[in-house]
Amino acid sequence: MQPTEFKLRRVETGRGPLALLTIDNSEDWQKPTTLGRFSLESLASTLDEIEDGDWAAAVITGKPFVFCAGADMDEFPGVTADVARDGSRVGHELFARIAALPFPTVAAINGACLGGGVELALHCSHRTISTAVRHFACPEVFLGIFPAWGGTQLVPRLIGAEAAVEFVVANPLRQNRLLDAQSAFERGFAERLLEPAEFVDQSIAFALELTEGATVRTEADLSGLADAVRLARSQVDDQVHGAAPAPYLALDLIEGAAEWNLEEGYRREEDAIAELMPGPQAQASIYAFGLVERRARKGIGVPDAEARPVRKVGIVGAGLMATQIATLFLRRLEVPLVLRDLEQDIVATALGNVVGELAAQVAKGRYDEAKAEFLGSIVSGGTSYDGFEDCDLVLEAVVERLDVKQQVFAELRELAPRAILATNTSSLLVSEMGADVGLHFFNPVPLMPLVEIVRTADTDDAVLATAWDVTQRLRKRGVLVRDAPGFVVNRVLTRMTSVLMQALESGNTVDETDEAMLRLGLPMAPSVVLAMVGAPVANHVLRTMHEAYPDRFPLSPALAALAAGEEPEPLTARPRPVEELTDEALSAMADEIGHLLDEGVVASAEDVDTCMLLGAGFPFFLGGITPYLDRTGISESVVGRPLAGLPHLTAR
Amino acid sequence: MRQARAVVYVDGVRTAFGRAGPNGVFWRTRADDMAVKVVRELLRRNADVPPARIGDVVFAATAQVGDQGLTLGRSVALLAGLPETVPGLALDRMCAGALTAVTVGAGEITLGAADIVLAGGVEHMGHHPMGAEVEFNPRFVAERLVDESAVTMGATAENLHDRFPQITKADADAYAVRSQSRAAAAWENGVMRDTVVPMAVFSDDGWRMADRDEFLRPETSMEGLADLPTPFRPGGRVTAGNSAGLTDGATVCLLAANETADELGLQPSMRLVGYAFAGVEPHLMGLGPVPATRRVLEQAGLTLDDVGLFELNEPFAVQVLTWCDGVGVDPEDERLNPYGGAIACGHPLAATGVRLMAQLSYGFRERPDVRYGLTALCIGMGMGAAVLWENLAREHAAD
Repeated sequence: MQPTEFKLRRVETGRGPLALLTIDNSEDWQKPTTLGRFSLESLASTLDEIEDGDWAAAVITGKPFVFCAGADMDEFPGVTADVARDGSRVGHELFARIAALPFPTVAAINGACLGGGVELALHCSHRTISTAVRHFACPEVFLGIFPAWGGTQLVPRLIGAEAAVEFVVANPLRQNRLLDAQSAFERGFAERLLEPAEFVDQSIAFALELTEGATVRTEADLSGLADAVRLARSQVDDQVHGAAPAPYLALDLIEGAAEWNLEEGYRREEDAIAELMPGPQAQASIYAFGLVERRARKGIGVPDAEARPVRKVGIVGAGLMATQIATLFLRRLEVPLVLRDLEQDIVATALGNVVGELAAQVAKGRYDEAKAEFLGSIVSGGTSYDGFEDCDLVLEAVVERLDVKQQVFAELRELAPRAILATNTSSLLVSEMGADVGLHFFNPVPLMPLVEIVRTADTDDAVLATAWDVTQRLRKRGVLVRDAPGFVVNRVLTRMTSVLMQALESGNTVDETDEAMLRLGLPMAPSVVLAMVGAPVANHVLRTMHEAYPDRFPLSPALAALAAGEEPEPLTARPRPVEELTDEALSAMADEIGHLLDEGVVASAEDVDTCMLLGAGFPFFLGGITPYLDRTGISESVVGRPLAGLPHLTAR
Repeated sequence: MRQARAVVYVDGVRTAFGRAGPNGVFWRTRADDMAVKVVRELLRRNADVPPARIGDVVFAATAQVGDQGLTLGRSVALLAGLPETVPGLALDRMCAGALTAVTVGAGEITLGAADIVLAGGVEHMGHHPMGAEVEFNPRFVAERLVDESAVTMGATAENLHDRFPQITKADADAYAVRSQSRAAAAWENGVMRDTVVPMAVFSDDGWRMADRDEFLRPETSMEGLADLPTPFRPGGRVTAGNSAGLTDGATVCLLAANETADELGLQPSMRLVGYAFAGVEPHLMGLGPVPATRRVLEQAGLTLDDVGLFELNEPFAVQVLTWCDGVGVDPEDERLNPYGGAIACGHPLAATGVRLMAQLSYGFRERPDVRYGLTALCIGMGMGAAVLWENLAREHAAD
């Protein structure tokens, strides 16, 4: 891929020459422009030229659809403190040169504008933004860093205290929420909101208007800054429990904007990024982002075969999980769907919920009413297999009992010989029940991106290709897994659950077992997850894992009690400190990951990491679980070797 | 400027409509040759018209490329043997090509720029599938200016069913059965023989005659239509059986100033009363003829009850039923498409408009008691067109 450059053209106008700069890498929109070392050098030499000339105004814009997607993240892994500091300083110096230009400078935000792209735009005297822009954000905090090219200082000065805190800290922590043009304009990021047609021409016209005496902009009132930051700090506490440093540092820097001048603010950003970026959480987040945004998107292990068209889907089972899956299939695939369960009122409830969910989407304005009615009309269900014969894909989501599933598949195979038969089993073997492939979804289905795509020795390429294709159309991320009990997520998590249950049996409290994992920064307490998944389900999974690996998955009286709706009774009175519980849980997980990697359940440690990030809510700032276990020495002591083997992530 | 003159429709003809694609009768025939054929036949049938009096030749095609790409009106005029002094032009309004050729030609006549105009259209969808040579501006999708379904006509038909859920697949199928059976009768009883010009064409099996519409299926029944696949949407309502197929065809008509018709002793069948075009949501393009119909009636100071015959295009049964619903006409009304429509004969995009007029003209002759008639159609990207005509056969009948 070509590097990003700053291309300068001179435009003769009635008011004098205008400098028209384009941020471009000569690639199409699928390869957004980013600012790495080379690009900053290009900016420096372009600024030399601009500072030498006698311009009336300057307009900086991007190639079609992309203004600038920020710093080049390929340069982040493995940075030292000095390199990080230097990177921040170079950006400060260059962007400060833009701010110092003695004529109006307009950033014409024509497309996606992220991170450093926003900071570049903020250093211009004015900004226009196109209504077509749907990606305007500083997602650095989501990546374990913060905007270190002046963002923490300029955003509050431009748009005020509360909006700045929301933009720099809260949005990234809310599934990396981005702004659209209208929202960005309303918050004060741009002076003009323009239509996409003729956007550059009109931005030039705006710049020329400004030559007649630019309005001096008053800085926002920052008197409420300390309060806004204090409130944000406690919200961040709720979300990351102090385990991720980036949002706190960002808040400190934003708070400083009220008292420091810009030069000092820049120095503080440099100090903070030098400390943060080489650190474990930032490096882990960057690794996790790469896994989830690039690697998992491609689909590792997708065979070269052609996917079969899926024009009708059947779902066996109409419980809560099956209902969620049915809704997902209906919304994304928009094909006729038929449900089956043993009891008619369960089916009726499921159908009602599916239709109700469509109506809720319509009420939120996310779905066209007429289309929703049509979709409601193509989903049906009953207690027989009527309607399953012409399905292209049938997904089984009944109770986790092998004999029941075997019977379902035997019946389906006979009455729907053309269909691909898939199972949503969480712990049983796909091959033993007679299914073609596993498609394992996670709870809650609308939110969890992961689908474990389980291949058996008999899964042929066309079936697998279809499974991948369907997963993509459902807008989920697939990870290819070999048929083995618990696949990845449940296998690893059940070891953790096992340790925590043993702690309860030894006299620890639920608060202590929860704290053992929350202190790592996991987003949800294990007891809450257990309640959501259902203790009977979790116990069932444990029993299945126990049958497969009895030594490592002992049965748990505590979990059995919870499954029966009772309080677990401690068997001994030897509670252990929370830190020890954390260590033991992580060690158990390391041990199990070692085993499943040895067994070849997934192709690489990166797949394990992806599964835990996308299916178990493992936070980004812990990055991949395997580099984390390596970094903390747990892999070495438990498994005797690194699991991920990524040097820059294990440096301590 | 001279005073606006009355414009009359003297005659109109068409080729048979063939199935697009390698199995169609016109596969090895050039589009412009099809246009030449109908022009020559039209002039033969109207031998009292001196070719040198033709003031313009207006020919429409949606795909202005290849064998239908060289400024059709002019190239066809030359290829048909018209004098060099007769100019020509090409135009595009997709499905309303020929209809717009007529309105453009009428404009020239009414203002005195021409006394006689040949207006028609040709579409060889086998050589030039819809949208094949078009590059959509990425802004349509990037800025969500238009719903993505708008580019696929069948998808817009499914959207109409969504928007008007009371129009069911069964309704659409029933309409399709009617269209096919009326078309079958029309071939038996003569209107098609009257307007369709047989043409010798070359094929892989040597020369053959293209003399009958290839999509005719008189045996169409509800049972036969019930289980057809729905290619535009799984579990949908629009099938090949209740839509018009992709078609090759050419049409042309002869328009004149009323005073010129008198001068030359011609027998025009109808007078152009007015016309209107309208824009609607692109992803519901089938709605187009509804506002266009309202507007043209308003122009003329008439109501729907004053109109005794309707020739409406049938790209999809649901589209016709939507128009019926919108203007208040019963789908089984005798006034509507008495000779069947596009579901039976096909819809070569830019050519269709003049087929509707030729059928209306025939209808006027059969029904001298009817005073006004309407030709209307929907257009891709969300438009509609309607032309109102007055029956001149009444006057002749009264003579």
